Amino acid sequence: MSFLASLRHRLRVLLRPGAYQRELEEETRFHLAQEASRQGAARPGLSAEAARLEARRRYGNVTGIDEARRQMAGLGLFEMVRQDVRFALRSFLGTPGFTAVAVLTLAIGIGGTTAIFSAVNALLLRPLPFRDPERLMMVSMTTPAEPDRPASDNMVWSYPKFTVFRDAQTSFQDLAVTTDFQVTLTGGGEAERVNIEYVGGRYLPTLGVQPALGRNFLPEEDRNPGGPKVVLLSDALWQRRYNADPRVLGQILDVGGEPFTIVGVLPPGFKGISGRSDIMVPVLSGSAEDINQAWSHSYYVVARLKPGVSPAQATAEARLLGTRVDAAYPHPEVKDRHWGATAKPLDSKRVDPVIRRSLLVLLGAVGLVLLIACANVANLFLVRASGRRREIAVRLAVGAGRGRLIRQLLTESVLISVVGGAASLVLAWGGVRVLATINPASALRTQRLEGLGVVNFSTIHLDPTAFGFAAAITLLTGLVFGLIPALSSTRPALTAELKEGSAAAPSHRLLRGFNSRSVLAAIEIALALVLLAGSGLMLRSLDHLLRVDPGFNPDRVLTLRLNSPPTFARDSLPGFYDRMLERLAAIPGVTGATLADCPPLSGGCSGTVIAFRDRPPAQPGTEPSIGVYWVTPQWTATLGVPLLRGRMFTAADRAGAPKVVVVNEAAAKAFWPGQDPIGKPVSVGQGGFWNDTARVVGVVGNVRFGTVDTDPVPDAFLSYYQSPRGRMMVFLRTAGDPLGVAGPARRIIRDLAPDIPVYDIRTLESRTGDSMSYARFSTLLLVLFAGVALALATLGTYGVVSFAVAQRTRELGIRIALGATRGSVTRLVVGQGIGIALAGGTVGLLAAFGATRVLRSLLFNVAPSDPLTFAGIAALLVLAVAAASWLPARRATGIQPTEALRDG
Amino acid sequence: MPTPQPAKRELLKGTLDMLILKTLTVQPMHGYAIALHIERFSGEVLSIEQGSLYPALERLLKKGLVTAKWGDSPTGRRARYYTITAAGRRHLGEEISSFDQVLLAIAGVMKRG
Repeated sequence: MSFLASLRHRLRVLLRPGAYQRELEEETRFHLAQEASRQGAARPGLSAEAARLEARRRYGNVTGIDEARRQMAGLGLFEMVRQDVRFALRSFLGTPGFTAVAVLTLAIGIGGTTAIFSAVNALLLRPLPFRDPERLMMVSMTTPAEPDRPASDNMVWSYPKFTVFRDAQTSFQDLAVTTDFQVTLTGGGEAERVNIEYVGGRYLPTLGVQPALGRNFLPEEDRNPGGPKVVLLSDALWQRRYNADPRVLGQILDVGGEPFTIVGVLPPGFKGISGRSDIMVPVLSGSAEDINQAWSHSYYVVARLKPGVSPAQATAEARLLGTRVDAAYPHPEVKDRHWGATAKPLDSKRVDPVIRRSLLVLLGAVGLVLLIACANVANLFLVRASGRRREIAVRLAVGAGRGRLIRQLLTESVLISVVGGAASLVLAWGGVRVLATINPASALRTQRLEGLGVVNFSTIHLDPTAFGFAAAITLLTGLVFGLIPALSSTRPALTAELKEGSAAAPSHRLLRGFNSRSVLAAIEIALALVLLAGSGLMLRSLDHLLRVDPGFNPDRVLTLRLNSPPTFARDSLPGFYDRMLERLAAIPGVTGATLADCPPLSGGCSGTVIAFRDRPPAQPGTEPSIGVYWVTPQWTATLGVPLLRGRMFTAADRAGAPKVVVVNEAAAKAFWPGQDPIGKPVSVGQGGFWNDTARVVGVVGNVRFGTVDTDPVPDAFLSYYQSPRGRMMVFLRTAGDPLGVAGPARRIIRDLAPDIPVYDIRTLESRTGDSMSYARFSTLLLVLFAGVALALATLGTYGVVSFAVAQRTRELGIRIALGATRGSVTRLVVGQGIGIALAGGTVGLLAAFGATRVLRSLLFNVAPSDPLTFAGIAALLVLAVAAASWLPARRATGIQPTEALRDG
Repeated sequence: MPTPQPAKRELLKGTLDMLILKTLTVQPMHGYAIALHIERFSGEVLSIEQGSLYPALERLLKKGLVTAKWGDSPTGRRARYYTITAAGRRHLGEEISSFDQVLLAIAGVMKRG
């Protein structure tokens, strides 16, 4: 009770100090008026003025009592802060240049840090958007090292193996498979390509999600393959395609040409762990044939721990059960190649390790920028404080407490940092918007990155955590850069300062202030150097990436994807595609048209094994692997891929004609070193080419289908005439703007086949650009940070050197008067800058050698200690410091000895 | 010309709070009324600087022993009325009993002397 009354009172004073102050004044006036009128009434003849005075006398020292009262009420502190703030504001407004530089420097440091922190928060820290996400785990298979790939603990499951695990496990209350794919929706609207997740019946309960409308999958829909065809819609699809009509339940939706009954709508924002699925269907709605394949590995397994079971216990059990799964489905070819299982917290799988690392590197980099900004502003404050030394000395001498003065100076620095922090939000807001546009579906997936799709760049935004972070570092920076100047400039060695002509008193204090500024500048240079080294290495790496010849010409090529509808018979596909290509090639401005199943630099599409029919058969399981691509005869000409030997396919390479393949240079070198591969008999394990023998008819140049930074691997090309394939991509080379032919191309395809969805229409350049967009983006950011760091450090050095020149005007004047040459004065001044650079540079280089090691996994063809890079940044540093010292040096040589001596 | 003052007794530390709280048990009052009340009942022996009430009132407000509210005074002017809280009454009870003990102790010493 007393606590509540007390709290209410304190809050009132705290929140409305001005109003409370006025209340107290009114109360005092009331008291004095009452007393005056009582005195007047008690003693008739007393003048009103005398009564008023008597009242004041009886009241006591009005000012003193009011002061005591304000102190007691807690208004005293408020008043003091207000005084300090008002004083600080006045002094900042008096030095607008200083204020602007300090605010801007801090805004850049704090804003950049906040933006990157937002990304780190969204991608690495924020809890997954599921109920009790810390209880969720991902169960994976483990595979031993194979000849063509390293061991992995990230392998996806096949359904039969999953059931062995599911039926034996005891750690999880719920677990379910999921895999995501793309599929075409037809019926009740336009043909539309959407993302789909095939999930187990317990998928939603595992994640803790309830349908917003309708129901979840039933147990009988999760029992046997070939089960009921039911579908859940995402909220977005429901809104878009059905206008949020609740009567959608029970309606039929054509998913990939098969009728599915809509049984529910998912809650808004929930799109599965892939983060992009528009519909979900039970995995067991598929045919038994597909699902019962023990070696068809394509399912992730998410699981929710039972209460009381620790993640470590679950992992131990998963490892144990892995041997049981392996015993149930032993490796078909190699006896002691054992697969296993393991479980890891779902959160640990949220983003690809490369992204995690590069984000942390960026956060470290921007943190360094913030430190440099702090050092720079601290330096500015030191310079400013030395200009106010006499003022401070006077205030100390007339009895101001040192604590009070420090508080005053800290108020100033915190005020500046708060203004800087507020300004930084603009920068952070812009930065976050840019970060959020990184498209995970293109930029990241094409790089074959791991991670849950649900954690992606589009979830980056300025949230309360980010604001809290910004506020915290704002206050922290204010204290950090404020404390040094506040402590050093109020050190009580007054007498020298009070003497006229402080330049005549080169006391230890002057020297110390000067030194701490130099040390700060050197620190800035050291930090900037670390950033420069890192960004220099990333730049070199990006340069190497950009120089890689991808093996094709991506300029002015339009690409679009299409699906053949399931109603098409396989045999009729080539005829359909021929007609389509013919008409597409006739579009004005199109100089070439071709089909392929897979675009270059997309992470690769299909792979299999190759056998040589003129050699003894290899041990099963030891055949060499090879990539397989389906193309038309125009492929090499349209994409600008060189034909090195033999011939490309022709229209004569049709079904029924002798089977032929074309291989790339890497395959020719790997499989027929020193021989001519033309005419060799081979079998390729896909597209109906395994049981037949095909002849190699041509060798083409290497095209990088994977990523830019992976070397070309052996590839084989099949003629789509001999091996029809439903999902193909159209490539159109154009004379002008490739997007200009998108409309006509779309019309032609719709004309030929209205129910084929055409989607993903983009230039080939934008696709291949994607495959490097993340590398490009993170490098760009790092370079930006390093640039800012270098600019700040240069500015810092400039400030220190030019301030020193101003301080030494008299000394330099005397030197010049005694006959010092321009050259020697310049050397003297520049020498100071170089001294700072040498000290900072040495420390920075050592630190950089250590720090750049964290970049190793992010670099392509560049060693973390690349000598060229380090030599380059050292040269850049020398240049910057020389520039920073040159201006003050020029001023120094222009000193007129007579003036210098008179002014001193 | 200052008029000669009767000799005033310094208040014991902490007694002012007790006097204010005791006064407020009669009824809610504004600060001026509290001052008059204390002057009147102490026979002006304990006459204090009227203003020194206010820092003490501020202290009591902060401790939650009294609350303050604006109301109309009999003269029609707005005045700030103080009311003792339940906690204030409890506190007053404790103060009085410990004060009584001190008085008894002092009286005991004086008798012997």
